[in-house]
Amino acid sequence: MNARPFPPLRAVAVAALVAGLAFGLACIAAAGLRAGTAAASHQLPPNAPAPAVSAAELAAQVDRGRALFTSSCSHCHGLDARGDEGPDLHGVQVSDRYIARVVRQGIRGEMPAFAKKHDAKDIAALIAFVRSLH
Amino acid sequence: MSASLWVDLHGAATHFPLALTICSLLCDVGGLLVGNREAARNLHGAGYWTIMLAAGGSAFAVASGLVMTRGEMLGAGSLRQHHVFVWPACTLLTGLATWRFLVGEIAPGPARVLYPLFAALAAALMIGAGYWGGEMMTAA
Repeated sequence: MNARPFPPLRAVAVAALVAGLAFGLACIAAAGLRAGTAAASHQLPPNAPAPAVSAAELAAQVDRGRALFTSSCSHCHGLDARGDEGPDLHGVQVSDRYIARVVRQGIRGEMPAFAKKHDAKDIAALIAFVRSLH
Repeated sequence: MSASLWVDLHGAATHFPLALTICSLLCDVGGLLVGNREAARNLHGAGYWTIMLAAGGSAFAVASGLVMTRGEMLGAGSLRQHHVFVWPACTLLTGLATWRFLVGEIAPGPARVLYPLFAALAAALMIGAGYWGGEMMTAA
């Protein structure tokens, strides 16, 4: 092995370059995965047309969603939904249908399923609350 | 492939680079300390190959982690802490393996002593990453 005479200092430069390239490659792969996930979530068939909701009804739904969030979600996502064990939910780039599916089914090893605890009305309120976050 | 399979693969894959980096470090330190030249050469040889395998294993661990988290580079909470250790650890490990590949099994001159210090730093960072990865599992 030591028959290969490579100056140690030059080897440091090459090693730093390779390590930097590897990290850059990971960043590019991550960006590609994020873009693919975002696109896939928006390619899901649209929800049934939502009934027209007045501003007052929407505010009530957001309040209800906030209460449900505090009891079921804030343990992991933080009381302000800025993230703790779970991610920050402000400005999420996924569809309502995707959020509903994650709440119902959970993510194995990351997030529990809430299908037994929250019905469609609860989930709609939770989505309204998440959409109200800025 | 289902998301749960990637969770299992990532969990399995991460232990190899951690164990191999520590093993490589111990072999190289042993090579420095042992008096017998033949034994020292063998220990450095083992340190060389284990760091190569650790770097290869870390690439798979990172790839499976990225797929599992759908490209999350930092995240929040324990995941963020995990990543704060993961990225420096894997970058340093890749650099160490590349350097070792270039200079050979036995590092020349003072690098023979400096190299294990950096390998120890990489192992410490990987232990930190493993700790926060474990915290995520127990919190779930």
